[in-house]
Amino acid sequence: MPSAARTGGAVAEPERFATEPAADDGERTIIGFFCRECAYAAADATGNARVPLPTTVRSVLVPCTGRVGPLHVMSALAEGADGVFLAGCLEGQCHYREGNLSALDRIAFVQRLLESVGVERERVQMFTMSAADSPRFVAATKRMHATISALPRLERR
Amino acid sequence: MPLTARGREILGSLPGVAPTVTTDGIGCEIVRREELCIGCGRCVKVCPSAAIAESSRFDPAQLYDAPAGTTRGALGAALRRIARHEPDGSFEVPERVRTFRTIEFDRTRCLGCGACTRACPTGAVTARPVNAGEIGGFAGADRVPCAVPA
Ligand code: SF4
Ligand code: SF4
Repeated sequence: MPSAARTGGAVAEPERFATEPAADDGERTIIGFFCRECAYAAADATGNARVPLPTTVRSVLVPCTGRVGPLHVMSALAEGADGVFLAGCLEGQCHYREGNLSALDRIAFVQRLLESVGVERERVQMFTMSAADSPRFVAATKRMHATISALPRLERR
Repeated sequence: MPLTARGREILGSLPGVAPTVTTDGIGCEIVRREELCIGCGRCVKVCPSAAIAESSRFDPAQLYDAPAGTTRGALGAALRRIARHEPDGSFEVPERVRTFRTIEFDRTRCLGCGACTRACPTGAVTARPVNAGEIGGFAGADRVPCAVPA
């Protein structure tokens, strides 16, 4: 982030994005899949309002959370993410009718898959929110960050 | 339906007849390839004898056996990378995750009508031609003689 000194003090320094220190062994990586209709709009509003967010979260825009399958989530974990979360529309308000309901079930499936091989189920979660609900988006992001920071890094072979 | 025990008994009791019975050209066996199955349930719907059933239990260990290039194979490879131990048993698949439902095939109930092979969109159920020599006439209890054109 450019400091006020480097920008000559001409621009007010934006508020630093707060990151609570990760438990022990370095910063975590969290992948968030956000649906275009609700969660991404909420994320956009959050950004426009310059609300600080944990820097551990990398966002991926998807048309609908219903597009995200078990393989997307598992690949993210296998390739370096310590946690993955989906953020979509409120139940009953999916712009593609039932995409978010499919996503909820797929997340439950991946959680069972993880449990079956001894990996914490909390690494994968789903949240729902309306497009206008920026505070809920912030809360979801922070909660995910806190959960994953409290867990050890995900080891890979 | 496979030949009943009584049928086999009759066939076997006819001297000189049983050895000449042949299934060449008309025999086939239904072969399932689990790794190609997308759990659509079409085969379950069309089977007239309930030889195919859908189960909502899923055994993650089968992901490890699935060939590369399939979704299940890719999922297995990803799972293997982060697994802390071998998968410990099957679990219930949530309602909307059809792709990972398990399709169970009961060979002994199969009529060999071939409806499933025509219904399957992915080639996960096919008919394999079987010769008489292979199944010993119609005597093989676990093989299904049928009339699906090979
Ligand atoms: S061949 Fe016919 S009876 Fe056998 S499993 Fe297929 S649909 Fe069912
Ligand atoms: S029709 Fe084919 S893909 Fe569909 S459930 Fe049956 S075997 Fe699987």
